[in-house]
Amino acid sequence: MASLKRLETEFPILDPDFQSFCALRGIFTVQDFLIRDLQSLVADAEQQPSSERFMQAINQVLYVIDGLHQPWLNGVDLMEDAQKNKHVLSTGCEGMDFLLRGGLRRGQVTELAGPSSSGKTQMQPRVLQEVMNSILCHSVYDIFSMFDVLHCLESKLKYQMCRGDNDERLIIIDSISSLITPILGSSGSQGRALMVSAMSLLKKLAHEYNLAVLVTNHTVGGDGGIPKPALGESWKTLPHVRLLLSRDCGSNTYQVSLLKHPSIASGKAAKFIIND
Amino acid sequence: MSEAAAAAATKSWINGDESARQMLGRAQASRPSLSLPAPLHRIPLRAGNVVEIAGPSPSAKTQLLIQTAVSCILPKERNGVHYGGLGHSVLFVDLDCRFDVLRLVEMLRHRIVQVNGCSCTADDEEILKLSMRQFSYIRCYDSCELLAALKTLHHRLEKEKESNGIGGHLLMIDSIGAFHWVDRASTSLPLGGKNRKYLSLQNVLEVVVEDLRKLMSAHPMLVIVTKATIVGTTGNDFRRNYKRWPSAGTFDASSELEGLREPYFREYMPPIWQSFVTHRILVRGSDDHIAMPKSQENNTAYVSEWLLPRLNFLDKFVVRNAGVFLVS
Repeated sequence: MASLKRLETEFPILDPDFQSFCALRGIFTVQDFLIRDLQSLVADAEQQPSSERFMQAINQVLYVIDGLHQPWLNGVDLMEDAQKNKHVLSTGCEGMDFLLRGGLRRGQVTELAGPSSSGKTQMQPRVLQEVMNSILCHSVYDIFSMFDVLHCLESKLKYQMCRGDNDERLIIIDSISSLITPILGSSGSQGRALMVSAMSLLKKLAHEYNLAVLVTNHTVGGDGGIPKPALGESWKTLPHVRLLLSRDCGSNTYQVSLLKHPSIASGKAAKFIIND
Repeated sequence: MSEAAAAAATKSWINGDESARQMLGRAQASRPSLSLPAPLHRIPLRAGNVVEIAGPSPSAKTQLLIQTAVSCILPKERNGVHYGGLGHSVLFVDLDCRFDVLRLVEMLRHRIVQVNGCSCTADDEEILKLSMRQFSYIRCYDSCELLAALKTLHHRLEKEKESNGIGGHLLMIDSIGAFHWVDRASTSLPLGGKNRKYLSLQNVLEVVVEDLRKLMSAHPMLVIVTKATIVGTTGNDFRRNYKRWPSAGTFDASSELEGLREPYFREYMPPIWQSFVTHRILVRGSDDHIAMPKSQENNTAYVSEWLLPRLNFLDKFVVRNAGVFLVS
């Protein structure tokens, strides 16, 4: 967060007088400004001898703050962006495509949960076959290296966006639960905070660079012995689409059910067969 | 002061500035109550209210928001056709970043086609575009962005007021608990300067509440907020309490409702937020599946209960392609 001192070079109205006025009130950076009550600051500023300059300076900081958040989008723009950029990627599996009305949608994060040997990893090559443009593999063993990879990807995508070519279409994280489970303690909030930040970053990449994101999760025992997806209550609110995969014993028949979707009723299921 | 003047002053003080009827009439005119779709229709809501829709995931909270947004952005009447909307603008602050605009468009289209019949597609598109223009959307990826957006919203609305005139607004936030864990975990080293505040859960929410209060006093606005119950009880507790909900239709047994008095989720928002909220609804999926007579599928039903003010019955609703519909 930019400090007021550093902003002075860009905006000379934030002169040392204003900086000391702010420093008295514990404001040194733009972030401090955010956490303050603006009205009381303005009231204070009006009582100062150089109140006009201070008001202009406050407006200048507000202008800087206006650049800190995402732009407000109008409904019409949003609609056009969704129709132009947010297409679906086929999963290569008819049953799943039918369930998801086309496949994985760009701009959305899809979770595929299932116990081991339920076909999660077998699903991946099918998805990849459709998207042979660029397959880059990164092995990550903890969540921090995943953050590193994603941040590098973000800079790369930003650069590509400026240049106008955009190759990447799909990010697969297999499995996100193996990265998050070790850090999820029972009462500490750091683990969950990292989980939320990781998903926030994935959702940002998905939306801004029009990628589809697929993450896999394992299952834990639920009520009545029915497996449910792992990672707890806080996880449920994070992905856009949630799918639960299960396999009929000893056969090639898999069943995928839709737990959550922003625009399709949950509870639907589809069966399909994967032949090796 | 002479006796007559004193008597006159006392009399005017006793008579008051306006009668109760005049006061109510004035309040109704400046902040009229909005008619919102079910299940928000049970209590008259007006600008200045803060409604919190709480529930586990998934429980159709965002669908309720979208349904309400559709009712708001539709014009009341256009080209002689009565659409029945409020014609207000909707400001949607997406903290979850899971909003699907195509769902909003689908619901809006259903409503328009329902009114217009199956004719005049060009008119439909025009109304659709007109309504979508009333919808403003912003995503926030962390608390700083949310604070920045709220701080600059006032100026934005002022500018709009100058160009478009005074209109009602609906501010929707989905969902307020999105940054709960991140803010809770942000422990900070002590910063230089004793006045400095750091970005903690308490401080962030204090500022959010303050900024919202100021926005609501400057512009007439109804605030609807969803909150996911992310700090839930363990699965077993959930099931135990869950099973005690009566199915809709049997709201006689007050003893059954006694057991439901304790909410099964833990309130994790700090008191400053809890006191800011004026109305509270709880939604959750119900065990019963409703068999729709026309279609082959079973739709999951959801129940909603008003917690604040407490109404002692449950509303049951389903979510279909066309929107949210009350059942029974």
